[in-house]
Amino acid sequence: MTTTSVGSIDLAPSRASGLRFSDRRKLFLVALALPAILYVVLVAVWPLAQGIWYSFFDYNLLRGGGRRTFVGLDNYIALWADATARRAVINTFLFTFGAVTLEFVIGLGLALLLWRDGRFNRICLAFLLIPVTITPIVVGLIFRALLAVDYGFFGYYLAEWGISGPRGFLANTTTALPVVILIDVWEWTPLVALILLAGLKSLPTDILEAAAADGATALQRFRMVVLPLLLPTVFLALVLRVMDAFRVFDIIFVTTGGGPADATTSLMLYGVKQGLEFFNIGFASAIGNLTILCIALMCAVFTLLIRRADVRANER
Amino acid sequence: MKARTRQIAIERTALIVILAIYLMPVLWLVTTAYKPPREIFSSPPSFAFTPTMFNFQRIFELFDVWALLKSSLIISLGTTVLSLLLGVPAGYALARSKSRYAILVAYFFLAIRTVPIIATLIPFYLMMRDIGLLGTWWAVVMINTTLNCAFVTWMMFSYFRALPRDMEEAALTDGCTLWGSFYRVALPMVVPGIIASALFCIMFSWNDFLTPMFLTGPDTKPLSVALLAAFGTKDITWGTLGALAHFSTVPIVLMALFLNRYFVQGLTRGVQ
Repeated sequence: MTTTSVGSIDLAPSRASGLRFSDRRKLFLVALALPAILYVVLVAVWPLAQGIWYSFFDYNLLRGGGRRTFVGLDNYIALWADATARRAVINTFLFTFGAVTLEFVIGLGLALLLWRDGRFNRICLAFLLIPVTITPIVVGLIFRALLAVDYGFFGYYLAEWGISGPRGFLANTTTALPVVILIDVWEWTPLVALILLAGLKSLPTDILEAAAADGATALQRFRMVVLPLLLPTVFLALVLRVMDAFRVFDIIFVTTGGGPADATTSLMLYGVKQGLEFFNIGFASAIGNLTILCIALMCAVFTLLIRRADVRANER
Repeated sequence: MKARTRQIAIERTALIVILAIYLMPVLWLVTTAYKPPREIFSSPPSFAFTPTMFNFQRIFELFDVWALLKSSLIISLGTTVLSLLLGVPAGYALARSKSRYAILVAYFFLAIRTVPIIATLIPFYLMMRDIGLLGTWWAVVMINTTLNCAFVTWMMFSYFRALPRDMEEAALTDGCTLWGSFYRVALPMVVPGIIASALFCIMFSWNDFLTPMFLTGPDTKPLSVALLAAFGTKDITWGTLGALAHFSTVPIVLMALFLNRYFVQGLTRGVQ
């Protein structure tokens, strides 16, 4: 392998080892990367493989002495037939779609509002990011308290004025999921705003100034210039949030526990319940693998979309 | 110019109003902790109250707060140190490698970060049970380090990639060792990246709930788990819960506010 930048160093005699410099350098880099790779393979990939393996077994720690019986695809068939599992898939997609859409719309508005550089906006941004740093469990507890019908700041009045019904939004099968979505929106919109803001700030100013000089209105500038240029950042923010929202657990676990009547059960929640509460390892592994599959599929769709957007941007 | 000043004024007013509404739940949490129990349950609810430290006294009677803090600290610092030790060199190696597999390995780390924890947690739980580490801090640190080390690797990969190679090349021609060119030349230049990475590892593992809930025991559980466990018990009011939540949220919020520059940098760089 010939390298251009270290070409001159190759001539230097290597000390001790009889290896050429470029080879020693390669070995050095491999040695630096190897611990992390080995670690992740051992502690993440190996359990993942085990999870795939377990999903083909009837394996319940509380039944039959925890014996494993090979059942082929039975767990996946059971998953298909299971009403809660179907509900969980629908809920997780609805949650992800609803939360990320709202986070994007509100986040974009906030980013535009914060665009102007200055001390004031930086301080605002710092405070705006507080929800992102708060323990998700605590976020759930805060909203659970605020929405409590007997003494919560929102819940009391919502019930009193007959908006939420006497038992509150979280106890209602139709409103529970939207409320949980709104809690996620509260927590993560600042992050989306921040990422979009970083994108806005890296836009080439000369193009924006040229558009303004040509007499384009603010709305025209936004639609024709800012948005197309911002597209890569938008995709980035969306991918990041979709991946995270799809794995939602904490806030649902705290606010509704998946209820009422599975109305807010997510894939993660159902998997944890089956695996670590009922110790139905085989079935829970199938849920886990289904979750990975969904995430991988969404990743693929996003990659396609990004590539298409790139092509279109290059044509322009 | 006058129109511009007016627009700025409007924007700032809008921001302040939004911020005030947005942070109301946080304000509620903070104030609840200083409310006497009677006033928390006042119906209709009111914002006015006479501040008291009663709730803070109560949580020290009800919980071993220091033990909970210690668990949270051990878990988050352990995860952070291990993740940095593994992730920073890996990020450097991937950024400097000329192999075409390097980018694939980098994407592998990125992919690991998107894995839903449920898929690894169940087999990991059984593994820990079999080797007798269930209920220890080690179990949590080990599994958290996978996601965090993947995160650090990816983030440092982006920092090192943005760093010109010239300095390292110059040091090497001057007789610096390979290790020296990494440790003494490249590393000091990405200190902001390391701070940002550390900040995120601390935040992720301090706030983590799902893994310690199943992997720690009564003596090793961190604050996040205790918070939820406390929620079901009869002696707990929103006030005491708010006081306990102080310990779990205030350190991270303060850290993010004071190290805001690194925090913002991490949030925007870590995902690119």
